[in-house]
Amino acid sequence: MLEQMTDLAQSLIDALALGGLYALIAIGVALIYTVMGMMNFAQGEFVMLPAYALYVLAGLPFALAVGAALATGIAIAVLAERVAFRPVRNADLAAQLVTSLAVATILQNVVSAAVDARSQSVATPEVLSESSQIGAVSIPNLEILTLALTVIVLGGLGWLLYRTRIGLEMRAAAENFEMARLLGVRANRVIAIAFAISGALAATVGVLIVMQTGQVSPTMGLTPVLVGFIAVVIGGFGRIFGAVIGGLVLGVLSSLLGTYLPDGLVPFRDAIVFSLPVAILIVRPQGLLGAATGEARI
Amino acid sequence: MSGRGLRSPASAAASLVVPLVLVALAAAVGASGTPSFEETVTLILCNLIIVLGLQIFIGNSGVYSFGQLGFAASGAYVAALLTLPATFTALQTPELPKLIADAQLGPLLSTLIAAVASGLLAGVVGWPLMRTSTLAIPISTFAFLIVAYNVLANWDPVTGGSSGLVSIPRTTDVMAAGLWAGVAVVVALAFKWSASGYRLQATREDEVAARSIGIGLMRERLTAFTISGVLCGIGGALAVHQSGVLSPTTFYFAASVTTITMLVVGGARSVLGAVVGTVAVATVNELLRNFEEGSSVLGLISIGATPGLAAIGLGLILLVTMVALPEGLSGGREAGELEPIRRRLRSRALSRSPAAAATDRARPRSARGSAGSLRAEGVSLAFSGLHVLRGVELELPPGEALGLIGPNGAGKTTLVNVLSGFQAPDSGSVFLDGVEVTSWSPARLARAGLGRTFQAALPFAGLTVVESVAVGAMGVGVGQREAVDLAVNVLERLGLGEQAQHPAGLQPPGNQRLLGIARALATGPRYLLLDEPAAGLNDEECRELVAILREVIQDFGCGILLIEHDMNVVMDLCSRVQVLDDGETVMVGTPEEVQAHPAVVEAYLGTSYATGAHA
Repeated sequence: MLEQMTDLAQSLIDALALGGLYALIAIGVALIYTVMGMMNFAQGEFVMLPAYALYVLAGLPFALAVGAALATGIAIAVLAERVAFRPVRNADLAAQLVTSLAVATILQNVVSAAVDARSQSVATPEVLSESSQIGAVSIPNLEILTLALTVIVLGGLGWLLYRTRIGLEMRAAAENFEMARLLGVRANRVIAIAFAISGALAATVGVLIVMQTGQVSPTMGLTPVLVGFIAVVIGGFGRIFGAVIGGLVLGVLSSLLGTYLPDGLVPFRDAIVFSLPVAILIVRPQGLLGAATGEARI
Repeated sequence: MSGRGLRSPASAAASLVVPLVLVALAAAVGASGTPSFEETVTLILCNLIIVLGLQIFIGNSGVYSFGQLGFAASGAYVAALLTLPATFTALQTPELPKLIADAQLGPLLSTLIAAVASGLLAGVVGWPLMRTSTLAIPISTFAFLIVAYNVLANWDPVTGGSSGLVSIPRTTDVMAAGLWAGVAVVVALAFKWSASGYRLQATREDEVAARSIGIGLMRERLTAFTISGVLCGIGGALAVHQSGVLSPTTFYFAASVTTITMLVVGGARSVLGAVVGTVAVATVNELLRNFEEGSSVLGLISIGATPGLAAIGLGLILLVTMVALPEGLSGGREAGELEPIRRRLRSRALSRSPAAAATDRARPRSARGSAGSLRAEGVSLAFSGLHVLRGVELELPPGEALGLIGPNGAGKTTLVNVLSGFQAPDSGSVFLDGVEVTSWSPARLARAGLGRTFQAALPFAGLTVVESVAVGAMGVGVGQREAVDLAVNVLERLGLGEQAQHPAGLQPPGNQRLLGIARALATGPRYLLLDEPAAGLNDEECRELVAILREVIQDFGCGILLIEHDMNVVMDLCSRVQVLDDGETVMVGTPEEVQAHPAVVEAYLGTSYATGAHA
């Protein structure tokens, strides 16, 4: 009985940790969608490039490498916005999505060309691969770190959005971009900051994934970006904390399926995890938290 | 294929022939080259079929699907397994049902079965996916692609798993691929020019307006999604019989990016664009691939092998297109719509077919019977505690014009939204000719004879004037030929006949307003709800509008509910006026009674009316 309880607690913590990771991914996607109405395919590459920074700087002290990874994430996100996304800022959603697909393709293949198309292994600090004993449950340190980071990021983002001027500007821009501009919100600055935050979040995710898998590959951003998209959709478009819920749901679901699916079905876990959200959307097209809005234009 | 009047026969012929000639040229060039060049061209033609499949869905709906390559994959796997000899299937896919494992069909039959299978899959997958919102479809189709990959890569005993299949008979030559690509061109154009195609294009231009003329969004999207799946399946089946090998990554993310790039570079809205884009992108791609393997430029500069170079080039082309040329190389036009060709073809003025002009066929369907009414009973509605409508009653018989007036925020537009199904009331009921229709969708109400316009014109900007009106009739199920006759008739009545072949989006605001009315009239409404049709019109145009509406009532016998701030228009046209204030009916009466009612005068009409200065 006790053993079962421990097992359950163990898998719940695993599930929460994965959910936390997915929530971090989803916030990055949701932030950009909320502020400029764009679904950003290149978010996966904002995850991948910082991971490669860790790979390239493998000899440096770990803290320094992580700092460089964060800087990479912020730099690439801001650069992509300035070069590629600003020109299509007023285009429709489909055009923006395809533009971000182009950016994703370019970044992915630049890494393929510069490093290698195959995956490379990266050494991770030992302390992260060890576990801590808490009561009868042994928790991998990496999961503790992931959960801690999720809580810190959520708190920090909440503070930023609701307690600072730039947060107010972002929320105003999210409500009504044109009106916000008329009232003096500097659009370029707000969007650049949103991308910088989003890049930092993606870099955090990239570092956590490398710590978990010990590997980097040019296509490692594909699953995270899909996870982020689906989390945003099931959380309700344009709701940052809806995306957090969406990410948690996906992560917990994925982790629990990994533990409890019959052996024969385990390889199909991703297929199941990515099919279920569609079911949610059929029942609630506006997502879990989205309001059933009326026709906005009539 | 083309309905009379939507385009001239010469223009239609040019739109069809030019892409077909391009395909034939590509096949001929391929056939005259080295064997390896021929193979390259064959694969490009197979890709073209897939791109045309994408065009059918993406081009007409304006919604991106990242999942269509999943149907190319299903077609490829079905065709491969049906043609692999039993000795090979025993090794590669031991648990395949014996019937399929032993089957060793010819290229044509296996391709046809692959087409049907992929179409079925697209129908089954599309049924839930098309129910998700416009925002969510790109994401849910992307999820489908990953699910398809996951299944193909892990279902080893049936699909050969991640190592895939080898030794598939290589039966597709450049002529076969060219022929199928020609068929795909015809299918794509036939769909675009069908009533179903026009309905889908209307949803691309404006979802809300499309629903108001009876178009079921999900149904039209699902139709195109399924046909798209058939073409993608054919492309996949032919491609795998060219290359002879197949793995789960063959039709995965990279192939999705490549085919979408081809479509976007050429211009997603046109079939010509799909062909031009495929040829252009494939050419650049092949050139870059040579560099990728390492080569030397003119024997001078040697370049080392750089994997990923072709894909970087692809990404850059896509990026530059999106930023600099969002409508693509074709500008989203078919060959017959390109300016140089248009000038040569100088189309004759549109005219109704003589038969239709002589008969009753070109009249809207509303002129049948005059019993019944549109009735609201005790309609109440609140938005987050704010009462917008409180127990409103309304009755509109056919053949009558009822004015709905009241100050801003009185609930007029909300009432029209409730009547037309765009907004469900909290309580109360709506009856159409005695049938309770409170929970009906806007599209269903439109098909039942309820038309409406919006405060904004909501034009189908990418269609021509005549198309954007004819699609109103197609929306309620009128056949294309009849729809065109009807549209021409309505346009002539509204004085827009001259504009028929011009883009709807480029019309001046006054015309766009009239187009909104024409579009609603083309659905053959028994009841027509007009939301401020005179806004932005000058006095002269207002008088014309009143004359036109009067004719509409007399000739078509439909009832008109008119929201209007211009009192002259209301008083001229309406036999009864209902005054709404703060969500409640203040009074209903003749224009004279309303004008004389002190409360109304004070609350709404203002003192200028009371003193007669404006009347």
